[in-house]
Amino acid sequence: MEKLDRLGWAAGLTFVAHGVRVGIRTTDPGVLDRAASCLPFGAKPSQKECVDLLYSINVGRQRGNVKYFHMLYANDLRMVRTLYLESIFSALRHELEACVLERARRRVFLHAGVVGWQGQAIVVPGKTWAGKTTLIVALVRAGATYYSDEYAALDLQGRVHPHPRPLSIRKENGETSETPIETLGGRTGRGPLPVGTVLMTHYRPGRVWRPRQLSIGRAALQLMHYTYSARLAPERTMAVLLQVAERARTLTGVRGEAHELVNTLLDNG
Amino acid sequence: MLPRCREDELIVRQLSDETLVYDLKRDKAHCLNHIAASIWRHCDGSTSVAELAVMLRQQFQMPADDAVVWLALRQLQTARLLEESIELPADHRRCSRRTLIRRLGAAAAVPIVMTILAPTARAQASALCAGQFGNASFCAMFDVECTNRGLMGCMDVGGNTCDCR
Repeated sequence: MEKLDRLGWAAGLTFVAHGVRVGIRTTDPGVLDRAASCLPFGAKPSQKECVDLLYSINVGRQRGNVKYFHMLYANDLRMVRTLYLESIFSALRHELEACVLERARRRVFLHAGVVGWQGQAIVVPGKTWAGKTTLIVALVRAGATYYSDEYAALDLQGRVHPHPRPLSIRKENGETSETPIETLGGRTGRGPLPVGTVLMTHYRPGRVWRPRQLSIGRAALQLMHYTYSARLAPERTMAVLLQVAERARTLTGVRGEAHELVNTLLDNG
Repeated sequence: MLPRCREDELIVRQLSDETLVYDLKRDKAHCLNHIAASIWRHCDGSTSVAELAVMLRQQFQMPADDAVVWLALRQLQTARLLEESIELPADHRRCSRRTLIRRLGAAAAVPIVMTILAPTARAQASALCAGQFGNASFCAMFDVECTNRGLMGCMDVGGNTCDCR
């Protein structure tokens, strides 16, 4: 780290998100704004110099015909070495997301979409490409309130809090667009909600939604599969997931079109 | 054969019908059903397999024999929840749950241990390179070693960038 500290760091910023303080420094002040655009949703600027994590962007120079690599460090560990500056910012965005959600002090984050319905939350865990956003949009259009399409932010009592970042809707060419929920006629939830239903599902064309209910233990185990902090804070994570699993009914099964599942789910309560 | 349950570096949460165990050494989480959990708890280093079978019959009022216990021990051993490795008898090494259900006639009599590997935070983050497999950095798109550790923007030798979708 000492060797890294000796480089000419020209600019930096500090932010705090979910109780985690992160610093970003760079050798080129011109890229600081670009780095700032990589901050996770809900990040707020901080004036503190002491941080939990420090990311360093060493911008490679060009001297004559020689081009130097750009590098991204997390503390003293080199994460990325590339000739493409955009790759640094892609990596930084994913790193910041992962590390903040993993270290959040009073939240346990799941990779899941969430809506509110009749005073309870419906949580839809799923990795990228699982069809979470499609299902969340369908639920919102049916009258549910929007909480998140990407993260379920659980507090230590197992309630889910709003994390209403714009929806990442994927187009046919694979690119995503950030769409505020209000554009789709939906409204954002405000306070925390207890979890009433967990839907473990993925999309297959032509399939009919015939779920089975998981036991509490199996539900908690499956939820851990989508958790950011499982390895760093397993005891706290297990405690929160068990609270969710004990309270909510966890349904698992393959689904067909989103609107069919929504009709079945919301009609049955 | 006196099996003993492992106790070190485990977080154990007992539910009414199941037991959740997190293995801090291996970052694995297990869910034991009531049969497997009961057998595991009674593996104290001084109880034989035959005695464990008697315990099951008494506790759960169900038909149970050594085969049920051996199946549980095999699963617990695979999950590394026993203190030491045990030698399974030859005729019990391949006894499956299905065989036991056919014989005993009740699914509830079968011990089940479910296991997952706890994910890392980076494994959850969206849009990691589609070519990244566990700890290996390999880009399936270019069929080369991923130059950016599986994060977006890995390049092939021609300088083309993988968009990691």
